[in-house]
Amino acid sequence: MGAAPDTPTAVPQRDAGAMALSVHAALAVLVCVLVTVVWGLTGAGEFWPIWVWFALAIPVAAHALALDAARRPPGPYKALTIHAQATGLVAAILLAIWVLSGLGAFWPAWPLFGLAAALGAHWIVAHRERLPQARERELVERVDELTRTRRGALDVQAAELRRIERDLHDGAQARLVALSMLMGRAEERLEDRPEVADLVRRAREEASAAIGELRDLARGIAPPVLADRGLQAAIEALAGRSLIPVTVEARLERRPPPVVETAAYFVAAEAITNVAKHAPGARARVQVEGDGGQVVVVVTDDGPGGADGGGSGLTGLRHRVEALDGTLAIDSGPGGTTVKAVLPCGS
Amino acid sequence: MRVVIVEDNALLREGIVALLRERGVDVVAQAEDGPGLLRIVAGHKPDLAIVDVRLAPTFTDEGLRAAIEARRRHPGLAVLILSQYVEPVYTAELLAEGDGGVGYLLKERVGDVRAFIDALERVAGGGTALDREVVAQLVDTRRGGAGGGALDSLTPREREVLELMAEGRTNAAIARKMVVRPGAVEKHISSIFSKLDLPASDDDHRRVLAVLTYLQAGG
Repeated sequence: MGAAPDTPTAVPQRDAGAMALSVHAALAVLVCVLVTVVWGLTGAGEFWPIWVWFALAIPVAAHALALDAARRPPGPYKALTIHAQATGLVAAILLAIWVLSGLGAFWPAWPLFGLAAALGAHWIVAHRERLPQARERELVERVDELTRTRRGALDVQAAELRRIERDLHDGAQARLVALSMLMGRAEERLEDRPEVADLVRRAREEASAAIGELRDLARGIAPPVLADRGLQAAIEALAGRSLIPVTVEARLERRPPPVVETAAYFVAAEAITNVAKHAPGARARVQVEGDGGQVVVVVTDDGPGGADGGGSGLTGLRHRVEALDGTLAIDSGPGGTTVKAVLPCGS
Repeated sequence: MRVVIVEDNALLREGIVALLRERGVDVVAQAEDGPGLLRIVAGHKPDLAIVDVRLAPTFTDEGLRAAIEARRRHPGLAVLILSQYVEPVYTAELLAEGDGGVGYLLKERVGDVRAFIDALERVAGGGTALDREVVAQLVDTRRGGAGGGALDSLTPREREVLELMAEGRTNAAIARKMVVRPGAVEKHISSIFSKLDLPASDDDHRRVLAVLTYLQAGG
């Protein structure tokens, strides 16, 4: 009976079982009383009604046990408990017969031994099954812990990367820009010495190249528009500069953690790039949905299909997604290709 | 030319101010954040505002938003955005909003003083100055795909002219840069306009806008 006690239908059901047992027991008691009265009226000789009591008590006890077994919630020990109760009942019957038949030689020893052995065997089997479960629980806890700490490490890494990006912007890049301005001013004052001005110009160009390399480094961490405006704006920017028509539908209840945002962005970017590369006449649709629990990115196109999930771009994406315990599914057929990433947001 | 500067990094702000003053540009006010831009533009009525994209407090795109707001409040205000990265969406937003010159340059371009002053004058005069990286991204996006056929039909010389036009350069400047006669540039331009099926015009600025609209239209 799995029904909650406060469910209206559960109360009569429970009562019906108990009621049947009560009626059964009451009838048995009534018969016992009648039989005893008959025994008294017929001269009160040898007390034979005890056998009637005994015979009536057995089905009442069995009824009570059956009711208890039916109500017991399913669990690893349910069968063993019912077995133990049944063993107890049979043992009690045997002992009662032995007592009522005059306490002769203790013949119930052998059946009791057999019953106990069967119960013992059952207990061992039940516990042997339980043993791996304890190990399993330990492993599950360990996996949970590892998942949590790996996720924590990824979140820290994402936050660190964004901090590095900001530090590059405010620090090294800004100083190189200031340097290139100073060199520009020096160059202006060296008009009468063209060979020196040329050296300064080359130095300034080197500084510009260094700034460019730092910029590429920062962009690889996350495109500025993603950090600035979030996932929807970044994907719309992608769509806006794609070679193929791309529609974007986004529904994000809140801003996902940076690591999830970046992964979702790169899934959309790679998928759109693939459509433009392999199905130039196709149209693509990007759907992004997210709540606190997960972000789902689906990119569909109406191209000829045939996408290769083992390609280097998609393999890289898969690694990025799986590191977050997410899944990446690629379904490619004649009707088009669907790339779907499910990214859990962590706890 | 009366200019205001909004840049949160003091080192860069002072660098730009010093450089401009040496070239005789009148820097009338400086600020560090978006509200500061709106305040000094209202107070000084400059010809041009030079604005960093990333400003306090969130260091994302406040500078751009403030610049767009300033153009809305002061129609005709010329704005030159300086950034450490290229984001075509931001350029598009800037170009879409109001009239008056606009520019979007990477910060390191300031070091090339002559080209920078040239860009400032162009923007202050109502023209455009787009960083060649912005133009390169726009052109790359339009090439190779379904909508890129027309661009692919341009000769390398024509593409060079197109990119210089998109940066906002005048025909004379393009001719100087490519070391050809102005007449040759004119010829390239009319060929480009006919290949891309764009409306012809004698106005430099209009032609730039036509090219940018074409590049931004997407496939």
